[in-house]
Amino acid sequence: MNNKFEALKAEDSGEEEEETFRPAPIPGEGEHPLQYNYALWFSRKSQTNKTVRYDQNLKFIASFASVEQFWNIYSYIVRPGDMSGHVDYHLFKEGIRPMWEDEANKHGGKWVIRLKKGLASRCWENLILAMLGEQFMVGEEICGAVISIRFQDDILSLWNRSNDPGIVSRIKDTLQRVLNLPPNTIMEYRAHTDSMKDNTSFRTTDHFKR
Amino acid sequence: MSGKDLSPKGREIPAIRRVVLNDVSQLPSDYSTTPGGTLFSTTPGGTRIVYDRTRLMQLRNSPLARSPPANMAQIPGITDFNTEAEATKKRSKRGIVKDENKDESKIGHDEHPQFEMDI
Repeated sequence: MNNKFEALKAEDSGEEEEETFRPAPIPGEGEHPLQYNYALWFSRKSQTNKTVRYDQNLKFIASFASVEQFWNIYSYIVRPGDMSGHVDYHLFKEGIRPMWEDEANKHGGKWVIRLKKGLASRCWENLILAMLGEQFMVGEEICGAVISIRFQDDILSLWNRSNDPGIVSRIKDTLQRVLNLPPNTIMEYRAHTDSMKDNTSFRTTDHFKR
Repeated sequence: MSGKDLSPKGREIPAIRRVVLNDVSQLPSDYSTTPGGTLFSTTPGGTRIVYDRTRLMQLRNSPLARSPPANMAQIPGITDFNTEAEATKKRSKRGIVKDENKDESKIGHDEHPQFEMDI
């Protein structure tokens, strides 16, 4: 009886505990530490209720501090290319929420890459491995990466802190190197302030394409 | 010094040193250098933990990288604990994981005994 009650209590509070303190992960014994801790998030846009706010759809999956902890999590989640509907994975440095408004993001922007169907899983893996392994060489600039599964194309984004042209072009060079993209892949840089203005993530990319 | 003291010991992970940049011009000019140097360089202030793709893929095969994560949220259809079975199969195809699934035919009938329920 007591046990059941405890279990129920835990379940109840779980619903509202979105914002509560989570202890930072630490590398286990013998594991390989990463330069930063990261957190993985998931979101799915409700098709029935479109008024739900973006951050209400955002679900924290797990955080990690080492290469091994990353693989543990990665092996137990569905690959982005195997998902359907309007869904996203967000992998961000711990402490940065995957939102334009976050202190770390608000002066920055993102590289947006449109992918033909079938490329999402591979490109996402290459992107996050490059990010975790500190391949971008732009100091503290990288904030996180997003893969967005959409009906027509899938969209890969890499967010950074500032929209300094030097940093932005440096990131582009590394993206091209690590992603091994097909020729003529469309890449566009978009400042979050522009996204905030028209409240859309990829609209100008659409225009660009047509 | 006794022989005991000479036995190999694990070493502490080097402390991470943060290098603060105030301007883009302070970034190194070539890609093989990080601000303040790399983990392997002797530049003062330089410790960035860098892994290339190959190294990360190697580490995926470590036994430490294969246990189910302890503090992971359960999201139906997304954090799917059955995907590990598939991942293991894929890896075994590439010849890295030895043969965990080899006897599949033999155990076919009692594959999921723990999940059977009488309602």
